[in-house]
Amino acid sequence: MAVSMLHTPSRASTSSGSSMLPLNRQTTMSSHDGTRSMRTSKRYSVTALYLSMNANQRDLEIEDDLARAQKALRDLKSRISSQSKKNFVLEKDVRYLDSRIALLVQNRMALEERDEVASHLDDATDLSEGTFPNDEKTQKYGNLFFLLQSEPRHIAHLCRLVTMAEIDQLLQTVMFTIYGNQYESREEHLLLTMFQSVLTYQFDNTPDYSSLLRANTPVSRMMTTYTRRGPGQSYLKTVLADRINSLIEIKDLDLEINPLKVYETMIDKIESGGEPLPPGLQKGITAEQAAANENVQRIIAPRIDMLIEIANSFLDTIIDGLEETPYGIRWICKQIRSLTRRKYPDAQEQTVCTLIGGFFFLRFINPAIVTPRSYMLIEQIPADNPKRTLTYVAKMLQNLANKPSYAKEPYMVKLQPFIQQNKERINKFMVDLCEVQDFYETLEMDNYVALSKRDLELQITLNEVYATHALIEKHSAELVKDESSHLNQLLAELGGAPPQLPRKENRMINLPLYSKWETPIDDLTAALDITQEEVFFMEAKSTFVMIMRSLPTSSVVTRRPLRLERVAEAAATTKNDSVMVRKGIRAMELLNQLQELGIVDKEDNYALLRDEVEQELVHLGSLKEKVIAETQKLDEVFRTIRDHNTYLVGQLETYKSYLHNVRGQSEGTSKRGQASKVLGPYKFTHQELEKQGVIQKSNVPENRRANIYFNITSPSPGTFVISLHYKGRNRGLLELDLKLDDLLEMQKEQQEDLDLEYVQFNVSKVLQLLNKRFARKRGW
Amino acid sequence: MSRAGYQREYHVAVIGSGGVGKSCLTAQFVQGVFIESYDPTIEDSYRKQIEVDGRQVMLEIMDTAGTEQFTSMREFYMRDAHGFLLVFSITSLTSLQELAELREQIVQIKGGDPNVPIVLVGNKSDLEEDRKVSRSQAFKVSQAWGNVPYYETSARRRQNVPEVFVDVCRQIMRKDLSRARRDRGPERPGYGGGSGHTYSRRRRPRRQKTYDDDDYYEPREKRSRCVIL
Repeated sequence: MAVSMLHTPSRASTSSGSSMLPLNRQTTMSSHDGTRSMRTSKRYSVTALYLSMNANQRDLEIEDDLARAQKALRDLKSRISSQSKKNFVLEKDVRYLDSRIALLVQNRMALEERDEVASHLDDATDLSEGTFPNDEKTQKYGNLFFLLQSEPRHIAHLCRLVTMAEIDQLLQTVMFTIYGNQYESREEHLLLTMFQSVLTYQFDNTPDYSSLLRANTPVSRMMTTYTRRGPGQSYLKTVLADRINSLIEIKDLDLEINPLKVYETMIDKIESGGEPLPPGLQKGITAEQAAANENVQRIIAPRIDMLIEIANSFLDTIIDGLEETPYGIRWICKQIRSLTRRKYPDAQEQTVCTLIGGFFFLRFINPAIVTPRSYMLIEQIPADNPKRTLTYVAKMLQNLANKPSYAKEPYMVKLQPFIQQNKERINKFMVDLCEVQDFYETLEMDNYVALSKRDLELQITLNEVYATHALIEKHSAELVKDESSHLNQLLAELGGAPPQLPRKENRMINLPLYSKWETPIDDLTAALDITQEEVFFMEAKSTFVMIMRSLPTSSVVTRRPLRLERVAEAAATTKNDSVMVRKGIRAMELLNQLQELGIVDKEDNYALLRDEVEQELVHLGSLKEKVIAETQKLDEVFRTIRDHNTYLVGQLETYKSYLHNVRGQSEGTSKRGQASKVLGPYKFTHQELEKQGVIQKSNVPENRRANIYFNITSPSPGTFVISLHYKGRNRGLLELDLKLDDLLEMQKEQQEDLDLEYVQFNVSKVLQLLNKRFARKRGW
Repeated sequence: MSRAGYQREYHVAVIGSGGVGKSCLTAQFVQGVFIESYDPTIEDSYRKQIEVDGRQVMLEIMDTAGTEQFTSMREFYMRDAHGFLLVFSITSLTSLQELAELREQIVQIKGGDPNVPIVLVGNKSDLEEDRKVSRSQAFKVSQAWGNVPYYETSARRRQNVPEVFVDVCRQIMRKDLSRARRDRGPERPGYGGGSGHTYSRRRRPRRQKTYDDDDYYEPREKRSRCVIL
């Protein structure tokens, strides 16, 4: 009976759909409890299974604070998952257009190419939903993607076969679609299994140790993409954002310690003061000469101390953040360690740490430190000084992780104390990083859970389906050596891969996944290697927990120690609540059955079961706190991702308008008759623009700012006139003609300042403002 | 190069995929050592004075990250550098293939100039037994890029190492000279005046691009070289 419940359609855990989030689902993000034995882990999973199934029968659903908190968390997670995918796609579009627009702005693009770019843009917006052309195809592709998802080795193999040009599309589909539920343990674990397979291959095929994990390969691409998923983003934000933000605020803090650069700055300063260079100071000297200069040394010495202090503060947060580090990242570190040990049995601990550092710091932490804006940690590009300081911090951390025997840049030797101080700390940290549990046990369980469900599905676009199919087809000779393999059978049934659809015809579909071969498990006990007694015990436990969660806390029977038979009776006699009554009766039955089987004893008040129920309730109590804390953290991540999305969408809009505009112009004079309408003037106060960040620096004295306002007019698409006014005066103080091209070009050159003499505008913000206010139907 | 007269200072960026030996090449050239340790670069800079065709030249060399996660730093040094060593490892075909995209980005950042000083460098030539890229394959690539010179180097054995730096330096000098000659000529109207792209701002806060007037370059001399050991 309990087993037959497996066949009831259940949402269960596609995205942890149960209202009672089982333990092992919680742990995807970090800290697997190392003490849990395999047996208990199975037990937990079974409980999870029961709880999820029961909770999914709508009439049995629990509605307490915990359930609501969990539901909110789940919703948030799925929103993060889908939003980060959207961003990934948008980023690709923006990157593509970034390069194209640069050419266009410089007027170097052929007309045809221009049209192609424009067509690329036309449907960059949300895809409409749709369905597959026909049911048969739906079913076959459902089978194929089930196989791909549940047997990661195929994709792992494919990753090694595809060209670097093909891999981005493949990884997008893999990371954001096939394993797109970023907080769902089964998908995460399958994805990691795929990582492992590709990683192993790389270890086996790299001739020497010094080139391990160095080249840009499918693995490194996978890393880049992987860090873009929710958990990685939220980690970087929690651990690094504050440090970086406080550092970039001090724009004037110059911590350059390269003697040549310091020397040059010194000379420039003297020269700009109008003084002739004192004798002995010449230009174009060697590094050694610069380093020997006493003034240079005097400037550098305190900077060294400061850099060490800053780098230490970064290191502190990273080490303190051990438990925050995403499970997947730690698990990959662990794989690197064990692969290194296997391949080089004599490797020193230091060697192992170096390789872990070559992954954790080189591929994950340091890129975010060096270019924090691309990782959404800060909004603006840092000024030159802080940017240089951040580069130093990254270099120091990398040196610490790798402890190279040779300092390539001689002046970096001065930072040796940092390495000496932290050598042992970092090695311990790397070892600790690897201390996570494997997931094979839970993965096996999760797969059973998945198999037992009828509603596994993927949100995927038709073009993703076809592209994946085409890739598999292209590499099928390598991929399916065994003619009788499942993959080969599926491919034969599917026939040739359809071509990519034009963007307009592309659709987002819900593809139901199911296996063509496995049937739902009939005998759970055999499949899970547990006894019928345990099944009863688990069901009893979960039933009592659910009853307890539904009973009002004022009820007498909730007092500890629990008297289980009274709890059951109270439930069975609840008025006007048939669900509770059913649960109560079932609980009584189970108590009797367990008694008969000799597992619990009425004489000691079912102590064995009672204790577990009570423990579970305590655990659930603290679980609620955890759920709420996690929700708050993820809320922030979601906000960041959404902000980034707004930025990306804005950028695309800008490009789009610009292109329409350019094309409009090149379509010739015939249209010029219908002269475009003048838009504006729109009025903006100083205060308003300052608040929006459009004004990034103002030379207007505080007490006069209230009198300053700006008018912005767009006389024709793509041109703007910004004028600055002082209240009471007729004529503006200043007028600036702007062309969209110029702004885009400035942005492209990372030039953020637009100088209006009295105030300094921020180029990106100006673009955003114009975009919002002057968006015309076709172009600006 | 406004400070010309005293001494020329040229910026060279060494770029390419991770682990192809950019730092080894650079350290071998600048310091005469071969680095054995596992030490991925984030961004290093060096300076070295050399003599090219009887002129003293100060080379400012930027050794860059090959790790793809640092690609967003690329633009900065591509903008800054006058010449480029595009390095791959003869033991990895993908490391050569990756250069195509980099070269495209350079040309684009230099305002579409197809004649940016570039040398294609196939490093690790001492690992002949692991060779995955044939000479003709690499040479073909170098020809497709407008006949840029191709060298095979061994940072370990210091083979062809100074040569690649001197070559790129010579290209920069040639370009520098032709520009100087041109600059003495009469002013010509700006490029790109058509289709509404003239700059009508009253104040242009933007600096002039160095490379955006390539149509005045003298035709590049025919060169087709393949230097192997």
